[in-house]
Amino acid sequence: MTVRSTATPDPAEHCTVQVAGTTLSLLPERAAYWHTERTLFIADTHWGKTASFRTRGLAVPETIAADLSRLDVCLAQTGAQRLVLLGDCLHDRRGRDAALEATVAAWRARQAAVEVVLVGGNHDRHAGPPPAAWAFATVTQFAAPPFIGAHFPQPATNGYVLAGHLHPVVTIGGRWARPLRAPCFWFGAQVGVLPAFGSFTGGHVITPSAGERVFAIGPGQVVEVRC
Amino acid sequence: MTRKRERLPTSATPDLDRWFAAQGRTPFPFQRTAWAAYADGASGLIHAPTGTGKTLAALLGPMQEALHEAMEEARENPPSKTVSPVHGSAESEPPRLLWLTPLRALARDTVGAISAAAAALNLPWSVELRTGDVSSSVKARQRKRLPTVLVTTPESLCLLLSHADTAARFASLRAVVVDEWHELLGSKRGVQVELGLARLRHLAAGLRTWGLSATIGNLEQALAVLVPGGGRLIAAGTTKKITVSVALPPPERVLPLAGHLGLAQLPQVLTAVDGARTTLLFTNMRSQAEMWFSAIHGARPDWPMALHHGALERALRDAAEDGARTGTLKLVVCTSSLDLGVDFAPVDLVIQIGSPKGIARLAQRAGRSGHQPNGVARLVGVPTHALELLEFVAARRALAAGRIEARTPLRAPLDVLTQHVVTLALGGGFVADELLAEVRSTFAYRDLTEQEWCWCLDFVVSGGPTLTRYPRFQRVQVVDGRHVVTVPEIARLHRLAIGTIVSDQAVSVRLVRGGNLGTVEESFITRLLPQQVFRFAGRALELVRFHDGVAEVRVSKRPANSTPQWMGGTYPLSSFLADEVLALFGELHAGREPDPDLRAIAAMVRAQRERSHLPRPGVLLAERITLGGRSTGDGGHLLCLYPFAGRLAHEGLGALLSWRLTRYQPLSVSVMVNDYGLTLAAPTPLLLDASALRALLSPTGLVDDLLASMNAGELARRRFREVARIAGLLIPDLPGKGRGARQVQASANLFFDVFRAHDPGHLLLAQAEREVLERELEVTRLRTALERLDGWTIDLVDSPRLTPLSFPLWTEFIQSQFSSEPWDARVRRMQAEVLA
Repeated sequence: MTVRSTATPDPAEHCTVQVAGTTLSLLPERAAYWHTERTLFIADTHWGKTASFRTRGLAVPETIAADLSRLDVCLAQTGAQRLVLLGDCLHDRRGRDAALEATVAAWRARQAAVEVVLVGGNHDRHAGPPPAAWAFATVTQFAAPPFIGAHFPQPATNGYVLAGHLHPVVTIGGRWARPLRAPCFWFGAQVGVLPAFGSFTGGHVITPSAGERVFAIGPGQVVEVRC
Repeated sequence: MTRKRERLPTSATPDLDRWFAAQGRTPFPFQRTAWAAYADGASGLIHAPTGTGKTLAALLGPMQEALHEAMEEARENPPSKTVSPVHGSAESEPPRLLWLTPLRALARDTVGAISAAAAALNLPWSVELRTGDVSSSVKARQRKRLPTVLVTTPESLCLLLSHADTAARFASLRAVVVDEWHELLGSKRGVQVELGLARLRHLAAGLRTWGLSATIGNLEQALAVLVPGGGRLIAAGTTKKITVSVALPPPERVLPLAGHLGLAQLPQVLTAVDGARTTLLFTNMRSQAEMWFSAIHGARPDWPMALHHGALERALRDAAEDGARTGTLKLVVCTSSLDLGVDFAPVDLVIQIGSPKGIARLAQRAGRSGHQPNGVARLVGVPTHALELLEFVAARRALAAGRIEARTPLRAPLDVLTQHVVTLALGGGFVADELLAEVRSTFAYRDLTEQEWCWCLDFVVSGGPTLTRYPRFQRVQVVDGRHVVTVPEIARLHRLAIGTIVSDQAVSVRLVRGGNLGTVEESFITRLLPQQVFRFAGRALELVRFHDGVAEVRVSKRPANSTPQWMGGTYPLSSFLADEVLALFGELHAGREPDPDLRAIAAMVRAQRERSHLPRPGVLLAERITLGGRSTGDGGHLLCLYPFAGRLAHEGLGALLSWRLTRYQPLSVSVMVNDYGLTLAAPTPLLLDASALRALLSPTGLVDDLLASMNAGELARRRFREVARIAGLLIPDLPGKGRGARQVQASANLFFDVFRAHDPGHLLLAQAEREVLERELEVTRLRTALERLDGWTIDLVDSPRLTPLSFPLWTEFIQSQFSSEPWDARVRRMQAEVLA
């Protein structure tokens, strides 16, 4: 892949992409912002995954506080009024506990003005519904033309799908140097896939087809790469 | 505490003598010495070349003791029934002897040898094997009732120690024998053995430890690591004769100045193999073995031959080993995968292609031949370039003089300690202070600090030093003052992860019509397209498809146009051998002829002397070379240094020098290294005189400058996978191990990033950084080299053309550049100019 630099900056100097006739800003904090509807999209937070690992004897530090402040940065920078979580908000039932629920509830209290919509993902099904205190509106699909917010990246007849689930990662370089892996946004003709938001989430290396656009996330910046 | 042991009168061992006599042999003096030392209650280390009776030296001490005890017993309580050997039944004796071997392939033969001796001496002993290959029903039975002699690997011993009831059964052990100790020493597996031995000494009072080792340069230290309480060092009086000859090119051809395949020497190799019964041909890399196999097979299609390397399927390797053992094969082309193992009696010749790398390594490989009675180990070295001829000659000379490398033991790896602590918490639990004393009784952890120990306990009990960052963590709990594991799921995951060998992610290569051939690296397969033909397992294979981690292939009639490369191949020249080569150069410099074989490189030596100088001990040769762009298309300025410190240390030195140089002179330099030296290449002249060079080479501030120059934080990522895996953060993805293991799969990279962001003081990160410095950049060797250079004079030579010593460095440089002229054509032309 080679790096291309055609993306035009938005007012906050974010990398932008034109999809379905509208503009999305791609934030290096692993979120996408839709100006027109003042809506922030994120996917695959996997809250509770670290705790789930710890109960099985794997010493992963807790990352939720840092992830929530990163989310605060996104909301503050964009002034979003609505947050759409594209599934896999909670990792599993085992990782859920009072401490986690309280941490998120405290975050929710400081972001009370923002409407939060959760599109259920496969992990959410196992983990159970979010606690009432979080005040998340749970839906199976978020429809706001021209977009459909979904968890699984499958094309829909009624709009352009923004999805998660895949945790897309792109590899750059590699002929002479050691290849570099970076999480990415991946936009096809009918579906766009967001990177996993959670810090402790793995990645899946994608192989984009011709015509699809890939935006790699580096430290503090998003750049388009060409395959 | 030791049990009271009487020195046995010789008359108490008629059985041993009779047994030897029946085979027409008499015990060697060193064997008698070892038996007597054992009877004294001593521990020790027996060193001898392979095939000289080390096994019996270690084995018959414990057997003689058992015979003696049976006699005493019979005198006090006359037997009511005759004693006969019993295997695995309830009447066999409780565990007396534990035999640790680093190699599964050796384990099976060891069981055979011990069983035969026990049967011949009429001992009612059960002798059993326990390795990863043994069925789970046998393992379950062994956990409940250990055999009299258990032959096992370090990993299987740790698994046994993780079961409380089994660990208790080791109380009756009299002795542990560690086979091939030189092979374990200096690795994390060796540290694992040290910890295991400390535990066994705790479980079985008076336990004696005996090690078997090939000859290495630090035998006293090897003994001190194995037996921290002190023991006897016993040498076999007999040394097996080793002859090393070098295959020289015919007089009309010169050895190239650089190169690595050496296929030009194929005719000499064919002649040598022709004159031998069975030959082992060693290469330094798997890809090189694949290419030599296909070249020889092409030239002699009727020879029965096989290929053996670590990436091949076990069944293929077993077939190759069987062929070497029975002599049905004429030739086995192999890599370090056959450095160790069962003796192959028919093998009467070993060929080493390319650099011997070290004296011990050459001796080890040569020793794979000549196991016939009064046999001589015979090795033919095949240099692939001129400097390798010097290496063979130097190694031969050092070997004859008995000079050989040391194996440096590791110091306090925290990942291994962490794993061991959880193993013991699982195997019945421990009291922290008592275990600390036990751990500090080992050589590796004798200086373990209070802080490191506390960190280790915190890591397994609360996840890390700060409780808040690791809520709900559970692995080891403290119950009534004892550290224990109570959660069955954690116990299961830990047992899956025991061990210190971390294998790479690999893709299976499978024939479409069935049958696995082995594994290649994923990066190789993903670059291939279906229908492309590559060389693997000694065949030309066409890729049919690649999915789900399996590459399906079929045998092709078309020639292969690529060979897989495997990572982790380049083993550096030992500093010991590098010094021997430098000494040879010193003699050539003084006008002497140290060895007639060196006439084959007379042209190279003369050109080096005329263009520049010959390197010699006490002098750092530095060459400043200006390459004209006009004649070669490769204009540039090179500074070449020859510290003779080995590839890895030169890599560190190169990074250090270029970083320090940019503070004198802003420019962009590229660095190329080999085992003899390094070159800095720049597009503009390097304004350096001898005194500026001296300043650049100062050992002061070495580590700080090295860290600053190389972004060591990122480099640590390379070592972190192994560290995290051993410390139990990564659960190996084993097929058929169920959901539990899959649910906790996360990559080492992910852990690395999360630790760096959320717990940057994590000691496992620090360990990974330390390992990068020690193992990948050999900082200790680098420091020694710099300190040594401090006392040397600098001989700075200006040359308008490449010299024979700088030529191989330049080819490395050119390999990484682009040019319209084919690389090999350009190298051939330049070589002709250098030797003109």
